[in-house]
Amino acid sequence: MSLRNRELVFLIPALILTTLGFALVYTQKASSLTWTSLTYGALFLVLFVIAHLGRRVLAPKADPYLLPVTALLSTLGLVVLYRLNEDLALKQAMWLVVGLVAFLLVLAFVRDLEVLRRYRYVIGIAGLLLLLVTAVIGREINGARLWVDLGPINFQPAEFGKILLVIFFAAYLVDIREALTVSTRRVLGVPLPPFRYLAPLLTIWALSMALMIFMKDLGTSLLFFGALLALLYVATGRFFYVLVGLVLFFAGATLLYFVFPHVQTRVDIWLDPWQDASGRGYQIVQSLFALAAGGLFGRGLGEGYLTLQSGNTIIPNLETDFIFSAIGEELGLVGAVGIILLYLIFTYRGFRVAVRARDDFSRLLATGLISIFALQAFLIMGGVIKLIPLTGITLPFVSYGGSSIVANFVLLALFLRMSDRAA
Amino acid sequence: MDRPLRRLFLFFALLFVALLVQLTYIQVWAAPKLKTNSANTRAIEAEMKVDRGTIVSSDGVELAVNHVDGPYFLREYPQGSLTSPWLGYNSLRYGRAGVERVYNEELSGQTGLLGITSYWDELLGRVHKGAALKLTIDMKVQRAAAEALGDRKGAVVALDPRTGAVLAMVSYPRYDPNEIDTLWKELNADPDTPLLNRAAQGLYPPGSVFKIVVAGAALQIGALTTKTEFDDTGSVTAGGFVVNNYGDRVFGPHDFTEAFAKSINTTFAKIGVALGADNLASYAGGFGFNEDIPWPLSQAPSFFPEGGGLDKAHVAQASYGQGEVLATPLQIALAASAVANGGQIMKPYLVAQVLDQNAKVLRETKAEKWLKPISSETALTLRALMVEVVKNGTGTSAALSGVQVAGKTGTAEVAEKEPHAWFAGFAPADDPQVVVAVLVENAGTGGGVAAPIARAVIAAALGL
Repeated sequence: MSLRNRELVFLIPALILTTLGFALVYTQKASSLTWTSLTYGALFLVLFVIAHLGRRVLAPKADPYLLPVTALLSTLGLVVLYRLNEDLALKQAMWLVVGLVAFLLVLAFVRDLEVLRRYRYVIGIAGLLLLLVTAVIGREINGARLWVDLGPINFQPAEFGKILLVIFFAAYLVDIREALTVSTRRVLGVPLPPFRYLAPLLTIWALSMALMIFMKDLGTSLLFFGALLALLYVATGRFFYVLVGLVLFFAGATLLYFVFPHVQTRVDIWLDPWQDASGRGYQIVQSLFALAAGGLFGRGLGEGYLTLQSGNTIIPNLETDFIFSAIGEELGLVGAVGIILLYLIFTYRGFRVAVRARDDFSRLLATGLISIFALQAFLIMGGVIKLIPLTGITLPFVSYGGSSIVANFVLLALFLRMSDRAA
Repeated sequence: MDRPLRRLFLFFALLFVALLVQLTYIQVWAAPKLKTNSANTRAIEAEMKVDRGTIVSSDGVELAVNHVDGPYFLREYPQGSLTSPWLGYNSLRYGRAGVERVYNEELSGQTGLLGITSYWDELLGRVHKGAALKLTIDMKVQRAAAEALGDRKGAVVALDPRTGAVLAMVSYPRYDPNEIDTLWKELNADPDTPLLNRAAQGLYPPGSVFKIVVAGAALQIGALTTKTEFDDTGSVTAGGFVVNNYGDRVFGPHDFTEAFAKSINTTFAKIGVALGADNLASYAGGFGFNEDIPWPLSQAPSFFPEGGGLDKAHVAQASYGQGEVLATPLQIALAASAVANGGQIMKPYLVAQVLDQNAKVLRETKAEKWLKPISSETALTLRALMVEVVKNGTGTSAALSGVQVAGKTGTAEVAEKEPHAWFAGFAPADDPQVVVAVLVENAGTGGGVAAPIARAVIAAALGL
C-alpha cells in the first residue's frame, strides 16, 4: 500500500473510535442514540480527510502515521471533554478546526525549512518575547503566569514560544557545532568550548531558571532545558554536555527548592500527598482515587465520578492538566496505556524523521521538537500518576486549550514537512 | 550521529515504560488500598448510585424506600422510629444496622441471586438495582404493640410459633432512622440506649416467666404431675436463703396447677432444689439459654448458670427466674413457642422473601426447626397450666373474649427499683397462631402491666 493510502486507512480506526465515543457519551447523557451524536463523528471524518488531502498535495511523501495518531489523540480528548463539559468541547472543536487550518497553512507556506534557519535570530527573539510577555502583562492562573488575556481569548504564548525557541536552538547549534566539538581550552582537565559559544547556552539555562522563578512555570522550564540537553547531545555526540546540563539544572532546582515555597510545595506533595489529602495534596490524591476507580478496564465513558452536581469537576483542572486521570478512570488501564502507546508511536516516528533527515538543521529541529513533545507528554502524565512532581502543562492534543492544540498542529506540520523532504 | 539519536529515543521510551509501570501499580496493585482509603469518598458515591431494594412488611406497608435526587438514591424510612429496632439504618457516614446491614448484599444488588441481569446492568451503565425484601413483620401487629407499650421502656415480641416468623418486634426507647446522621452522637451517648434492640439484645431477670422452663423440666422428667400436692407456709429456706412469695402472700395447701397459675415462688423453689442445678441448666439450655439464637440480626444469648455451679440458695432463686438468670424477651417468646408448638421451637426469622425488581421471588425463607426441649405431651400439659393462669391466675388481664389465651406472668424484682413486668403467652390456646412476650422495665407486676399489652397484641394478631 502506498504511504498516502496507508495514512487514509489508519485514519479509519481513529474515526470509528471517535464516533463510537461520542455516541456512547451521548447515549449516557440523553439515554437515547440520535443522529446528533453521530454528526460529531462525521464532522471529524470530514476535517481529517481534508487534512489528509491537504497533506497529500502539500507534502506527498510525508510520514503516514503521524496524522492518524494525532487524529486519535485529539478526537479522544474531544470525546472526554464532551463528556465533562459540552461547552468546553465545542470550544475545543473550534480550536481543532483552527489547528487544522494552521497545520495546512504551515505546510503550504513553509515549503523549505531553510527559511526557518535563515530567520533564526528573528525567530529566537520572537520566541523569547513570547515567553517573557506573560511575565509583563500575563495573568496568573493557578499560581503560574502563563496566560495573556486577549479579549475573549486566553492566549498561552509559551506554547508557541517553545516551538520558536527550539527552531532557534537547532539553527544555532548547527552554527556552533564545530566549535563545541573541537574544544580549545581545558578547565580542570575538562574540555570547554570558547566562551562566546557557551554563553548562549548558559543564557538558556538562566532563562529556564527565570521561567521557574518569575512565572512559576516549572513545566515549561523543564521542557526547555530538556530539549536543549537533547539537542546538545545529538549535535555533539557528547554525553558530557548532558552531564553538565543536568548538574546545572539540579543545582538550580535545589536552590529554588529552598528559596521558593511553591517549588517546595510541589516536591513535598509529590513525596507525600497524604499528609494534606484534603488541602494541598487534594488534586493528586483525587487523581490517584480516580485511577484506582478505573482499574483495569475503566468504569466506562460517562460512568466515572468526575463531576459534581454543580458541574464542577472533582479534580481541579481536570479538563486541562488532569485529563489523563479522567481517561484512566473511565477507560481504565487499558485505555490509558493506549494513550501512552500513541505518544510512544508519535515519538518513534518523530525520531525516525530525525534519523532520516538529510541535513543537520532538520535533524536537530526534528530532535528538538520531538524531545519537547515527548517530554511534555511524559511530564504531565507522570505528574498526575505521581511518578514525578506535578508540573502544570497540557497533554499534547488531548488537554483542553486552544494555544496548545494550535501549537501542536504547527509542530505536526513541521514534522510532516521534514519527513517529506527526508523521504 | 545516529547513535545519540537512538540513545535519546531509548531514553524517552524508558520514560514511557516508567509511566506504564507506575500506572499499572496505581490502577491494579495499589487500587484496592486506594479505594478503601478514608479520604476516598468514591465508595459512598457509588453506593448512593445504587437503587437499593425496597423493604416492605408482610401486609404490604413500605418500610424502606428511596427518593431520587439527581443520579442519587437517598434512603427513607416512611414508618420512622416504629421499625428501627430491627430495620436498622443505612447511613453513608455511620454504616448500617439491622436488616439494612445483614441483607446489604441483597439490597445493594451484589448477590448472585440477581444473576446475570445485575452484571448486564453494570455493563450497560444502567442504574444498579438491588433486590427487594418482604418481611414477616405485620405492621398492624407492630403498631398495636408499639401503641400498647407506649413510652414505657421495654420490648414486645410477637411471632408465629408454627413457623418462627416474627410478626412484631417493638423496643422502646428507639430512634428515627431518617435522622441517624444528625442524631448519631446523641443516640450513642443516651443512657437509655435507644440504639439497643431490647427485644433481642436486652438481658433482664425473667422472674416467673422462667417457671415455664422449670415446669417444663419437672413435667418432662416426671418429677411431678399437675395434681401433685404442695403446702405453702409463706416461706421456705434453701441453703440458708429464705424464699418468700411476691407480696408476702401465704397460699396454704395447693396442687401444681395452682402453684403455676398463682406463681407460688416457695413451691417452685422446692421443685427447683429437688430437680437440682444440673437438670435446670440442661433444660434451660434446651429452651435456648446460653445459645446464640439462630436468626440474622444482633442478639444477646440469654444466661443460665452452667450446671454444678449453683448452690442450693441460688438454685432456689433460679427456679422462679431470679438470681443470676437473664433472658431476652425474644428468648422468652421462643420458650413460650415450645409450649404452643408441641414442644418444637422454630428458628425465628424476619425476612420472608427476597424479590427482584419484577417482584419475582428469588429466595423464600422456609420454616426451620430449632430446639425441642419437651415432648408434645408435656407441651399440652404445660399449655393447660398456662390457660389456667389467664383463666384464674395472675394473668387474667390478658384474657380476650371469644378466644382462649394461655400465658404466664413474671414480676422480676430488681434492687431498689420497681420490678420488671413480664408476660409470655399465646392464643388461641387450642390452635396457637401467635406467641407474645412482653417486658416493661421497672413498671410493676406482670399481670398488672405486661398482660394487658400482650392482650392488645394478640387481639391485633388474630384480627379481633
